[in-house]
Amino acid sequence: MFRINLKIAFRNLVKNRVYAAINICGLAIGLTAFILLLLYINHENSYDRWSPELNRVYQLRERHDFFTPDNKQYWQEVNDSKVAALVRENIPQFKYVTKVDNTWGSGSSIKAGSSDPVMMDYIRDADSSFFKVFDYQFLQGDPVTALNQPNSIVLKQRTAIQLFGTDQVLGKEVKIVMWRTDKGTPMKITGIVAEPDMPESLLFDAIMHTGEKDKDPINYTNFCRVYALAGSDIDTAAVNALLQKTYVDFKKSSFVQRKISFTDVYKTGKTPGLKAIPLKEVHASPPFDISWTDQIKPVIALSVFLLLISVINFVNLATAQSAQRAREVGVRKVLGAFKKQLMVQFLLESAIQCLFALFLSIALVELLLPMFNTYFEINLSFWYSHQLLGILTQLAAVFITITLLAGLYPAVVLTNYQPVAVLKGNYQHGFKGVRLRNGLVILQFMIAVILMISIGVMKLQTSYMADKNLGYNKAQLININTNYDEGFVNHIRRLPGVQYVASTTQVMGNVFNMPEEISYQNQNYNMNTVTVTMDALPALGVEVVNGRMFSAKYGQDTVNTVVLNQTAANLLGKNIIAKSYDVKSENEKYTFQIVGIIKDYHNEGFDKAVLPTIYKVTMLGGTSSTNNLLVRFNTVNYQPVIKAIEKEWRALYPDFPMIYTSAEDTFQQQLKSSHRLVQMIFLFSIVSVALSLLGLFALSAFMAERKIKEIAIRKIMGATDFQVINMLNRSFLILVALANLVSWPIAYVLINKWLQGFAYRIDMPFMPFLMATFMSMIVSILTITIRARKAAVSNPVEALKYE
Amino acid sequence: MIELKDIEKYYASKGVKSYILRHVSTTIKQGEFVSIMGPSGAGKSTLLNILGMLEEPTYGSYSFMGEDVTTLNERKRIELYRNHIGFVFQAYHLIDEMTVEENIEAPLLYKKVPGAERRSRVADILDRFNMVAKKDLFPNQLSGGQQQLVGIARALVAQPSIILADEPTGNLQSAQALQIMELFKKLNEEEGITIIQVTHSEVNAAYGSRILHLLDGVIKEDVNL
Ligand SMILES: Nc1ncnc2c1ncn2[C@@H]1O[C@H](COP(=O)(O)OP(=O)(O)OP(=O)(O)O)[C@@H](O)[C@H]1O
Ligand SMILES: [Mg+2]
Repeated sequence: MFRINLKIAFRNLVKNRVYAAINICGLAIGLTAFILLLLYINHENSYDRWSPELNRVYQLRERHDFFTPDNKQYWQEVNDSKVAALVRENIPQFKYVTKVDNTWGSGSSIKAGSSDPVMMDYIRDADSSFFKVFDYQFLQGDPVTALNQPNSIVLKQRTAIQLFGTDQVLGKEVKIVMWRTDKGTPMKITGIVAEPDMPESLLFDAIMHTGEKDKDPINYTNFCRVYALAGSDIDTAAVNALLQKTYVDFKKSSFVQRKISFTDVYKTGKTPGLKAIPLKEVHASPPFDISWTDQIKPVIALSVFLLLISVINFVNLATAQSAQRAREVGVRKVLGAFKKQLMVQFLLESAIQCLFALFLSIALVELLLPMFNTYFEINLSFWYSHQLLGILTQLAAVFITITLLAGLYPAVVLTNYQPVAVLKGNYQHGFKGVRLRNGLVILQFMIAVILMISIGVMKLQTSYMADKNLGYNKAQLININTNYDEGFVNHIRRLPGVQYVASTTQVMGNVFNMPEEISYQNQNYNMNTVTVTMDALPALGVEVVNGRMFSAKYGQDTVNTVVLNQTAANLLGKNIIAKSYDVKSENEKYTFQIVGIIKDYHNEGFDKAVLPTIYKVTMLGGTSSTNNLLVRFNTVNYQPVIKAIEKEWRALYPDFPMIYTSAEDTFQQQLKSSHRLVQMIFLFSIVSVALSLLGLFALSAFMAERKIKEIAIRKIMGATDFQVINMLNRSFLILVALANLVSWPIAYVLINKWLQGFAYRIDMPFMPFLMATFMSMIVSILTITIRARKAAVSNPVEALKYE
Repeated sequence: MIELKDIEKYYASKGVKSYILRHVSTTIKQGEFVSIMGPSGAGKSTLLNILGMLEEPTYGSYSFMGEDVTTLNERKRIELYRNHIGFVFQAYHLIDEMTVEENIEAPLLYKKVPGAERRSRVADILDRFNMVAKKDLFPNQLSGGQQQLVGIARALVAQPSIILADEPTGNLQSAQALQIMELFKKLNEEEGITIIQVTHSEVNAAYGSRILHLLDGVIKEDVNL
């Protein structure tokens, strides 16, 4: 039975090969997007799962407002280093606790023997417990003792091979230079660990033990990451309650020592907090950015839509063909076939097409993966993926779902044919499920039209962002990743082509915001403070609105004058130039004079509003230097100048390569994430629209075919080709028009929501709506007309004879 | 074998009942060869469809092999088709995507006849109908008469107790028609299969043992030959 059903299914496929090809290709495209998405989700889900031991590893997160983009509190992965000791002493559930550097994105230089130094992003300093918490597989060396001695280092296998060309390097030495002026420390290699076969959230090239992490500084705070290994399975909620209590007690006692009151610090809605989250959840819950699960939600929606469109094509074509199969159903029933058996037969036919589509899409995935990988800077693979079995199960599930979605309704329609109606020979040519099919065509076009409107608006918003005046001049500006060092700065300031050399704690790509409360005319305001050198504002090329920028002419500028940005000035009111405000510190009061107001400039993406900001040259506000050295050139052709700067650098710091980025690149990087979404939606939309049209084409082709006789008779009665084409067009155009009507409000709501996510956005434009409607109508008319013409211009006699 | 009591069939449209069959009562015994005759529109096909349970009468009762089948669910009905009833159609209604052999085999598949027996029965029938050479052809590669032979072979292969045929020779030339009638007669006499056919032809009707004359939905004459 199965064999013969299979045979018949194939014969039917061959007979209706054009429609079958359309079905299969459409489904394959829908499935390809879906499989890529699955691979991506699987990859993101595979973080920190390379060892079963990791189930018991937790990351500590402290709630604080340092290093945040908007001076609000976040659960952060960089903690006060004292947290480690606190956890070790107070939480018995954790067997080992380890502290490890957050690298802040500034690399270290590592040098093997006399070869050139190599910059590596992730050489992390840890205490001696690191490998007790993280169960890395040691190829050489002993995990228990590897980090016991200060100045020992454990390399990843690939790091060893990159530096030495071999991994047989146990006992050898490397020299680590952590910052530009660092003298460098020789470290003994005490271990080589294998690269895990799944991604890690705590990336490293090497783990070193300098000894710094063995103690906590007393007078200031050192920030690092803290991880802990539980002795056995723990009740996370209970442990977190204990952590919170311990932490609050710790904060209170430390405030007592520093003579500050607890309620004072946490009065403005801020609360202290410490918790542990399972390592497995770390990747999915980044402290600031939206997590990948939220990021890909629109993509999931898009792929589901795409799949839906191809399934709709499938259902529509299958039900349209049902009239053809009706007789067969009638005959089979009187031959003794139960409905269930017929159902199985028709589902089998859908299954075969879905299976073809699945194979085709796997081939497509293989073909597209390299492109996909470069585009998303990710490394996915289908066959070599560690969860091949998982993927195959998922695909089986997708296959079954699609088969049922695509095949069930047509099968129900078909098996419901009553033999008498068919066999009497006078059954209607009327197609069953016309209403459903029309509904599906509308749905399909709704998706297509909404997507078209979306890309229109998104394109407008992105070009608005790309062209928007940032408030500073990003051309001819580079940012060297280093501190402001007067000696070096004097060297390069003399180079021809260099206009300004300056430093700031706030520049796009590396922002370090410091919250501060000021009191102006007896009122308190929360401001953001930025420390700059004298030349920083002119180096950025920001505009003065009122007053002046800092200048060496005014001696007090290094003491107590400030420049505000427009947003901050607006908060304080009118006529504020030359006025003063106060900042209260622990026991003193500082007074600052406002000397100028500058235009707001952007240092985050356009989704974030510019913070009210105070710019100071003084160190009285207290903030550290944050590795920005801005260099503005006064020539367009500044590549040779950079070469000259690099030469100066090498002469001074031979063991530490110079790292820099241009302001232009940083800006493009900033745009990239929203750009990617737009491009992805663009791609999906094009494919969806194409699939919808393909479906429409097939459907109209089919209708034309069924109506050949009607067309022939009409022509004999004197209808012109145009009238015939019109007749075919009308039925579909009504559907497309209806779809447009429904799409407009839905698109409006969705896009408005997307636009709300940008602090700087365009007004809702009308053009994309019009364009989408116009396009959808024109293209469907063209599609149907091509098909209808063929039917219309055929010789009526042929058609009638054939019947 | 078949007992119809007071069968009525009408379609109501706009409140007006148009009767197709009125007060049809008759009994058909096992082994009879009945021809239903009458002018076009008399209700012959309707009656045959009711006999084949393809349509339900609006009124009256129908018992088939001692069982009341006036209203049956689809599953029960199809079980009767599997085991007792073979259909032959004027338009043959072979399945286009299946070869001659596969068409004949289809009812046996549904009846879950084991493979070996299935093959031998199909081979048997092909042999009997002289169609062995054509077994791998598709219906559209056969002449009308050949297609109808396949249709009959398909009806016979499941060894039904009754064959219902609606104008089985309506599309055929007289020579082919006679061949089919000979076949029916033989099946009826040698294997005792009950046959009920609808026909317009006196000649065809003469092959049977009884003629029901239908006029405007009423049995006017019931002749035993
Ligand atoms: N679904 C229906 N609705 C209304 N009337 C119907 C329907 N089906 C059949 N009829 C009518 O029933 C009558 C009998 O039809 P039937 O097919 O039984 O005639 P017949 O005797 O087989 O004629 P022919 O020799 O032409 O095949 C016809 O007048 C037909 O118009
Ligand atoms: Mg008839």
